[in-house]
Amino acid sequence: MRSYIGVKEIYQSDEKHLGITWTDGAESKLDVVELRRKCPCASCVDERTGERILKPDSVANTVRPLQIDSVGRYACVIGFNDGHNTGIYSFKYLRQLSGIS
Amino acid sequence: MGVLDQFFKKKDLEITEDMVREALKVIIDPDLDKDIVSLGFVRNLKIDRGAVEFEVNLTTPACPVKEKFKSEAEAAVKSIPGVESVHVIMTATTKGQTKSPQTANSLGKVANIILVASGKGGVGKSTSAVNLAYGLSSAGSKVGLLDADIHGPSIPMMTGVKNPTQMNGDLVLPPIKDNIKMISISMFSGTDQAAIMRGPMASSMVKNFVTQVDWGELDYLVIDCPPGTGDIHLSLAQIAPATGVVIVTSPQDVAVIDAKKAIHMYSTLQIPILGIIETMSYFEVENKKYYLFGEGGGVKLAESYSLPLLGQIPLEVQVSESSDKGSPVVLQAGKASAAYRNFSGNVAREVSILHATRGESLSSFSLKWRGA
Ligand SMILES: Nc1ncnc2c1ncn2[C@@H]1O[C@H](COP(=O)(O)OP(=O)(O)OP(=O)(O)O)[C@@H](O)[C@H]1O
Ligand SMILES: [Mg+2]
Ligand SMILES: [Zn+2]
Repeated sequence: MRSYIGVKEIYQSDEKHLGITWTDGAESKLDVVELRRKCPCASCVDERTGERILKPDSVANTVRPLQIDSVGRYACVIGFNDGHNTGIYSFKYLRQLSGIS
Repeated sequence: MGVLDQFFKKKDLEITEDMVREALKVIIDPDLDKDIVSLGFVRNLKIDRGAVEFEVNLTTPACPVKEKFKSEAEAAVKSIPGVESVHVIMTATTKGQTKSPQTANSLGKVANIILVASGKGGVGKSTSAVNLAYGLSSAGSKVGLLDADIHGPSIPMMTGVKNPTQMNGDLVLPPIKDNIKMISISMFSGTDQAAIMRGPMASSMVKNFVTQVDWGELDYLVIDCPPGTGDIHLSLAQIAPATGVVIVTSPQDVAVIDAKKAIHMYSTLQIPILGIIETMSYFEVENKKYYLFGEGGGVKLAESYSLPLLGQIPLEVQVSESSDKGSPVVLQAGKASAAYRNFSGNVAREVSILHATRGESLSSFSLKWRGA
């Protein structure tokens, strides 16, 4: 079965955390620097092997999102202030990153 | 018969509405993950001693699990002691949405507008739009088909529909072919003229054209959009508030890259993406699949956006031949036909899910980070 869990609320919870309340009641608090380090785009992850190309150290601790926009029904795109904006973060992935199934 | 006998007999046979509803609760809609009683699908329940009759009212006549629901409902109610016969009537009320006053006369009674769009041209968009319309129609829905591709209208050729001949007041009545109301922008202007129209002229033409047709009552109006991501799409989105959009792509990288642009554009316009259809997926000879245009470009696209993959259509000569003959492939037998039928069921299902889950979640959002 597919999952139709969506976003009930999305907000900046503090200086470096993104808060999401999901439609099933679960809550996520995501560190935005970690989000940048875990970008799923093709230049950050090898599409074939799934290996991470992006070195975590190359992402500064000061990186922040500029804007987060929904795309399609089950994902969002995050534009970061280091100019990187190609990561499509599916809701499934965001839940995974915050330890929710 | 003694008094006691009668008492027991009556008690034996007493079937209540609650019993029937309780029995029907075992049937779960796999998409909505709720039982059909809680979803309010069960209506007009009538019990006449051992004979039970009721309606199961679905959210689309094109529901892919319609027959399964019917037989499950029959079996569930038959298992109640005392029930001798069960009559299940399958009905559907397609949920729709509100329209702008500008289009009240033309689109006022159209429940759902489904856009069929692609970034790149030539990927099988018109073929998919036509087969979607025929697929929904053959499942019992009232369907209209609008060819808004100003630069390359193709529906008259693909279906053999003739020009409109009737008016209702100021509005054009769409001609009907194979039970489907059809209009092509080419019927309103010379095709040559349309092909060279650009920018604002093309946009205003699309606007006029959409508001000047009396579509009447429809479950679905399928719109074959022009390829690309330009002004004309914005005007179309404004004038015809779409329920959702189907993104068409072939497996090639160039097509997928443009499909992504289309996904982002429709997201900005806040039109829900129903899912992805991958066309020309493979060529099959003697049960062996050849991936002429690369493998799974559309599948990966759907995965990366977590969008439903609505279908994969094989390359088949039959597809293009039947289009050229004006009789869409979905009306025939074969693998591409089956794939298109499956696709149209999936589209209907996504539209139903969209209506059922509306209001539960944010349909779109844009968050600006403070202090970045
Ligand atoms: N599955 C298929 N198998 C074989 N041929 C196909 C298939 N799908 C589409 N075609 C053929 O490919 C060509 C392009 O298809 P179609 O006209 O539907 O694409 P389109 O995206 O609408 O193009 P345009 O951008 O010109 O409007 C047509 O000749 C069509 O018959
Ligand atoms: Mg076309
Ligand atoms: Zn990246």
